[in-house]
Amino acid sequence: MRKILKKLKDMPLRIISKVAFKTDSKNRVKNKQPSVRKASRQEQKEIPSLQETVIANTKFSHSENISFVRAMPEELPSFYDQDRIVLQVRDPHWLHSYWEIKAQTFEAVKNKLGDDFYRAKRVLRVYDVSNIMFNGSNANRFFDIIINDFANSWYIDTAGPGRSWCVDLGLMLPDGRFVTILRSNVVTTPLDGPSWITDEEWMIPDDMFARLYGMGFGLGRSSPVGGAWQERLKQGLFSSGLSSSPVKKIVKERNFWLKVDCELIVYGATEPDAKVTVQGAPIKLRPDGTFTLRYYLPDGKQVISVKAASADNLEERVITPIVTRETR
Amino acid sequence: MHGHLPFVRHPEHEDFLEEDWLYEAITETYVPLISVFEGLVRDGIDFRITMTLSPTLISMLADPLLESRYLKHINRLIELTQKEIERTKWQPDFKNLAIMYFNRFSHARDTFQKYNCNLTSAFKKFQDLGKLEIITCGATHGFFPLMDVCRDSVRAQVKVAVNHYQDAFGRRPQGIWLPECGFCPGHDTILKDAGIRYFFTDSHGLLHGTPRPKYGVFAPVYCKGSGVAAFGRDLESSKQVWSSIEGYPGDYNYREFYRDIGFDLEFDYIKPYIHPDGVRINTGIKYYRITGTGNHKEPYVAEWAASRAAEHAGNFMFNRQKQAAYLNDLMGKPPIIISPYDAELFGHWWYEGPMWLDFLFRKVACDQNEIRMITPSEYLNQNLRNQVITPSLSSWGYKGYSEMWLQGTNDWIYRHLHAASGRMSELARNFPGAQGLVRRALNQALRELLLAQSSDWAFILGTGTHTSYAIRRTKDHLLRFSRIYEDVKSGSIDENWLSDVEYKDNLFPNIDYQLHQ
Repeated sequence: MRKILKKLKDMPLRIISKVAFKTDSKNRVKNKQPSVRKASRQEQKEIPSLQETVIANTKFSHSENISFVRAMPEELPSFYDQDRIVLQVRDPHWLHSYWEIKAQTFEAVKNKLGDDFYRAKRVLRVYDVSNIMFNGSNANRFFDIIINDFANSWYIDTAGPGRSWCVDLGLMLPDGRFVTILRSNVVTTPLDGPSWITDEEWMIPDDMFARLYGMGFGLGRSSPVGGAWQERLKQGLFSSGLSSSPVKKIVKERNFWLKVDCELIVYGATEPDAKVTVQGAPIKLRPDGTFTLRYYLPDGKQVISVKAASADNLEERVITPIVTRETR
Repeated sequence: MHGHLPFVRHPEHEDFLEEDWLYEAITETYVPLISVFEGLVRDGIDFRITMTLSPTLISMLADPLLESRYLKHINRLIELTQKEIERTKWQPDFKNLAIMYFNRFSHARDTFQKYNCNLTSAFKKFQDLGKLEIITCGATHGFFPLMDVCRDSVRAQVKVAVNHYQDAFGRRPQGIWLPECGFCPGHDTILKDAGIRYFFTDSHGLLHGTPRPKYGVFAPVYCKGSGVAAFGRDLESSKQVWSSIEGYPGDYNYREFYRDIGFDLEFDYIKPYIHPDGVRINTGIKYYRITGTGNHKEPYVAEWAASRAAEHAGNFMFNRQKQAAYLNDLMGKPPIIISPYDAELFGHWWYEGPMWLDFLFRKVACDQNEIRMITPSEYLNQNLRNQVITPSLSSWGYKGYSEMWLQGTNDWIYRHLHAASGRMSELARNFPGAQGLVRRALNQALRELLLAQSSDWAFILGTGTHTSYAIRRTKDHLLRFSRIYEDVKSGSIDENWLSDVEYKDNLFPNIDYQLHQ
């Protein structure tokens, strides 16, 4: 668990490492194993909400619950017997898509295409459908991503914030024809900067907006920061961050360690109704007259006088262990 | 302030580690906050705070099983602090701290019992006094932007939450904290239909909206089409508290979170207070201050930490005054500054957080008259005219959008969640006005779907540490949902099994499956 807590502390670094990969649309992010590397403070600073993520995770700090893990439930179904491709927005640049094709749908395509089917490549066709009612042939533009036959999901780099997108999963035939199997829903990526549309009624000077904008992001401590807006954009705060610096060589940290402490147990017994004091302070006996005391033992000499008085106060016994701890 | 925990309740296990999330939050965050509010009211200090109590959190706080388990938990901790007072007899620094924890835990227990073991009633009291505005959240904290392809589920998350709020507080919620602050254009219409007046977005939600917001994040906007108000987060004030680099909680005099006696002390001694399987866990008893960047830690000194908290509260107020004055000149009208934080930041992560908040409230009320505290609904009542824009897709999560909940480690869940959502709509459509056993089954189906949608599972999967519980929960609820779906369709509901599932996942007793459409 100690290690786990350490891990939590390191988490921002681990997350940053995930973005250090230059991912392209031919390689699904999914298949990449993130590797650990140290990130500079500067990098930490540029990623929004990193600290929130670390702190939110402390809500869930725990050890693996062994008994619970042993009884893992059955698996979820791999298929829901549907023809469906779903498109979701990850950030201003990236989309995520997953799909499922019914076996009979596939058979139908196979029968229709004959031999061509086996020479066709599986392709995601990504349409820019901003500001139109897409009918299959009126896209502003499109691009293709060749995918492998076993993929059932993909991350797509559109490089197009503030645009609307639709994706076809289909086959590219050797003669260049494209056959659509499934068509996705339409999604719109958010802008990664301020809108250039300003309402006439609310027209405001750009410089005022720029200063408000900078302050909105907490740039400058209660004072305007000139050009903060542009600076923010330059830092690429709102890009996916996927083009950040490449993975650096990992230097293994040496973190061997040792910790030693001492505690002292003092125990004894007397008549159950006797009154006992240790270093002058009364202690409680168990019903059978025994007692156990446990102390952190600091360096130095401890004189532990244990005094027992009989219930009628006529008799008294004193025993005084003297313990010395010396740490070198 | 956003108070939320996922629904974690396991009657089938005597000791269930993850239930500690709730117990820790009660002792370290919710009770201390309530004590701060009590003190302010007692001293006649006027204050305002807006706070989410998520429906799952309210459900757990009101659950008799979890209440009795909390009492057991806190009593055990009190017993441990008593032993600690004895053990540290020859170390006065530590002994004082052991006494501090003994007092603190005893106070937590007393407060808990004072409110009849249900802290929701305490928060309700401060809302009824007009100091606290409690807002709602998604029913189980589903991340709405990744539910956009099944808006029926977004609607159900919102409506179940609103009804649940009404049951708990006897009035309708004015506002909502969208789970993870995740906004997707169009969802404002769903909020409007549920009678919600306002929500919050992260800074870029407003700043990157269309058209440009005239006043940035320093005035709310109305969403185009729905007219629901959106307030944008101010990052400057957020950073002062959140940031690991410039933030207050990193002060060397504050308590170190990562040194807990659950890990530090000798095994046989601490064994009765950790998990019965011998797994070491946090006890909440932490004796050190942050001290510095290295591993060497010095004992915590409560007085030093308190004086830092007072200084930091003064600094925060000073910066807000400067910020507000500057913005007032620039805008020609008073700005509103929104500073949202996770509730667990206060007390759990930042031990001195509730004390800082207390100092801040008192200073703002007594030491100045440049700024004042206000709730969003008060602001909207006083400022009717606001700009109309479409805010941008955004969240307050890592990198500002959906990536925290949509990456290689958790993207597999969405095909299942979306399929289940489609099936839930199909059930609601095909079985309108169901009664008896079928109705029970359909209501439970919606409970299971909502529980599977909690963003907390995807979040934990995304962090990559201790994922097995999150995987387990995602699968469990989806599998229970699927079984109900099949059983209802084939007309063969197993009542014994259903009763067992109703007993385990017992939240939202008044849920109506027909809200999912």
